[in-house]
Amino acid sequence: MEADKNTVVPGRLAVDLCGLVLKNPVMTASGTFGYGEEYAPFCDLNRLGAIVVKGLSLEPRAGNPPPRIMETRCGMLNAVGLQNVGVRAFIAKKLPFLRQFNVAVIANIFGETIDEYRRVTEILTHAAGVNAIEVNISCPNVKKGGVAFGAHPDAAASVTEAVRGETDLPVIVKLTPNVTDITEIAQAVESAGADAVSLINTLTGMSVDIERRRPHLANVTGGLSGPAVKPVALRMVWQVIRSVKIPVIGIGGISTAADALEFLITGASAVQIGTANFIHPAATMEIIDGIEDYMIRHRIGCMQDLLGSLQTDG
Amino acid sequence: MAEKPSIAIGQVMENRSVAPGHFLLTIRLPLSFATPIPGQFVMIRDPDRDEPLLPRPISVYGFQREDGHAILNLLCRVAGRGTSLFSRLNSGSTLTVLGPLGRGFTIDPDVRQILLVAGGVGAAPLAFLLQECVFSKPHSAKRQVTAYLGAGTAELLTGLNRFEGFCNLRTATDDGSCGYHGNVTEMLALDLGEYDAKSTLILACGPMAMIRSLDLLLRDTRIRCQVSLEERMACGVGACLGCVVAIKEGEGRNGYRRVCHDGPVFDIGEIHWNPPVEG
Ligand SMILES: Cc1cc2nc3c(=O)[nH]c(=O)nc-3n(C[C@H](O)[C@H](O)[C@H](O)COP(=O)(O)OP(=O)(O)OC[C@H]3O[C@@H](n4cnc5c(N)ncnc54)[C@H](O)[C@@H]3O)c2cc1C
Ligand SMILES: Cc1cc2nc3c(=O)[nH]c(=O)nc-3n(C[C@H](O)[C@H](O)[C@H](O)COP(=O)(O)O)c2cc1C
Ligand code: FES
Repeated sequence: MEADKNTVVPGRLAVDLCGLVLKNPVMTASGTFGYGEEYAPFCDLNRLGAIVVKGLSLEPRAGNPPPRIMETRCGMLNAVGLQNVGVRAFIAKKLPFLRQFNVAVIANIFGETIDEYRRVTEILTHAAGVNAIEVNISCPNVKKGGVAFGAHPDAAASVTEAVRGETDLPVIVKLTPNVTDITEIAQAVESAGADAVSLINTLTGMSVDIERRRPHLANVTGGLSGPAVKPVALRMVWQVIRSVKIPVIGIGGISTAADALEFLITGASAVQIGTANFIHPAATMEIIDGIEDYMIRHRIGCMQDLLGSLQTDG
Repeated sequence: MAEKPSIAIGQVMENRSVAPGHFLLTIRLPLSFATPIPGQFVMIRDPDRDEPLLPRPISVYGFQREDGHAILNLLCRVAGRGTSLFSRLNSGSTLTVLGPLGRGFTIDPDVRQILLVAGGVGAAPLAFLLQECVFSKPHSAKRQVTAYLGAGTAELLTGLNRFEGFCNLRTATDDGSCGYHGNVTEMLALDLGEYDAKSTLILACGPMAMIRSLDLLLRDTRIRCQVSLEERMACGVGACLGCVVAIKEGEGRNGYRRVCHDGPVFDIGEIHWNPPVEG
């Protein structure tokens, strides 16, 4: 029997992301959804494609002094500096909560040295309940590690190789937009064994309080996120899709289903929702519903028919 | 125990100017909205505007249930773009209201004397606490409440009517136009000796400078003191780690706590005023 294209086909939104089958392509972006429990009162976590948790390091980190955030036109700057409970406390105290839900859990990791990335990966791989690892080589708000790895193809490849060697879980490498040519980094991590790439992390920015003649953030600079970065993110996703064969996860300023669809049509295999969660705690739910409505309206039976359906001349 | 927060669409019933740059919002919410604990706050946002992006945190000033609705009162000071836009909302406009959020004030059973200390709109959460003390708690009769309210001028002593007649009241103004001529901490210092340290609890909310001077004043006493702190927020629910304050953790260890989730109410002794800077 032919499926009625005007009803919701179970699994219509499903995507296969390097062997990880997700209910739908909508994930939460690291650092914007805590460890999931913070948003449980406002969202049905079971409905999400995946939850990407706050960046984890080997030991707990205190992070940067406040003020850490500042709203800017159509966006916000943050300099949280990867404050986190540490990978062991995550497994003991945060992961059991997430396991109650039928949702993929992606652990975002961060290290100051390659060895630290390796050890965090090892610990997470042995803990039941993590479905994939997202390697943050792109945080602009810490002095050591992070973006230093993400800005050089060789360094990015070394981190990727180290993580790859330590786990059978899918490895997603998260890229920074603060580089001249993002495709170069994407290709380097692909060759080093990454199963997918996600982009973009925040764009380094700054803002000044003219009355006090001081920077608004204690860290002086911070990472720009939110609607303001979307066109830049989309352009970079488009460039990277054309330069690698592995799946690309689109991130940056996605606030509505229409925003998410722009990335999916361009060819992103999935999207992550970040700052939009702060603006509207149920944003992810509305985006999932909106993508589904769009597919019904355009009689698109499955995600494969939508992803990468962008038409360009020449 | 705090009830579960939710995100609700509220309708502005009244938006009244109460002093220059100060306004009182009355918002009608669905009955399902959880009852706030004094000291808790809500995050409000105008859903019809793309900007400002982020919701703004405002303390609960009043809350009642009537005629099948929950009614929320917020006392606000115009601080910048977001609050300025709120000040111009007409009745009938909608707001999204996320809450109630955070950890409110806790009053131990052995407390006999409560001192409320407020600077400016810091009076808001304390007025709500007084409302709850006066109207709902049966054992509150055994407790004395004295409010010390400070502001720049008499006009800026907003929310005064919520204290008058319900507790002992002392006021201070920077220009001397009402009550004590000076700041609220100096006024409290004059009276402090009269209170029994063991059974007194201070609950305070106001500018950071006031909280700092209160900390210095109380350092040599054994009087318990809880303060409601402010920091810039994005999510309001503990997820973004944007709103932290430095807290002493004992054994020389320090850490950052989220104002939105671990606070906004903290014991004053927990605050670390000169935290080491870490990258
Ligand atoms: C838990 C909590 C409860 C609050 N309760 C009340 C209340 O009952 N009534 C009231 O009038 N205000 C209250 N505030 C302060 C209020 O949230 C800010 O004044 C408001 O967010 C400023 O937004 P804006 O867009 O108008 O100003 P912006 O243009 O964003 O900023 C203007 C100025 O306000 C400061 N500011 C911005 N955000 C905050 C913030 N979250 N906390 C403190 N300062 C900030 C900025 O540093 C700047 O100096 C509370 C804040 C917190 C954290
Ligand atoms: C407050 C905040 C904290 C973040 N923390 C992390 C983090 O720990 N690890 C990471 O890889 N990205 C982190 N990010 C970046 C986001 O995951 C995302 O890449 C970026 O914000 C762009 O998406 P958006 O515009 O939808 O927010 C953080 C972003 C914000 C705003
Ligand atoms: S505002 Fe996001 S953690 Fe407090």
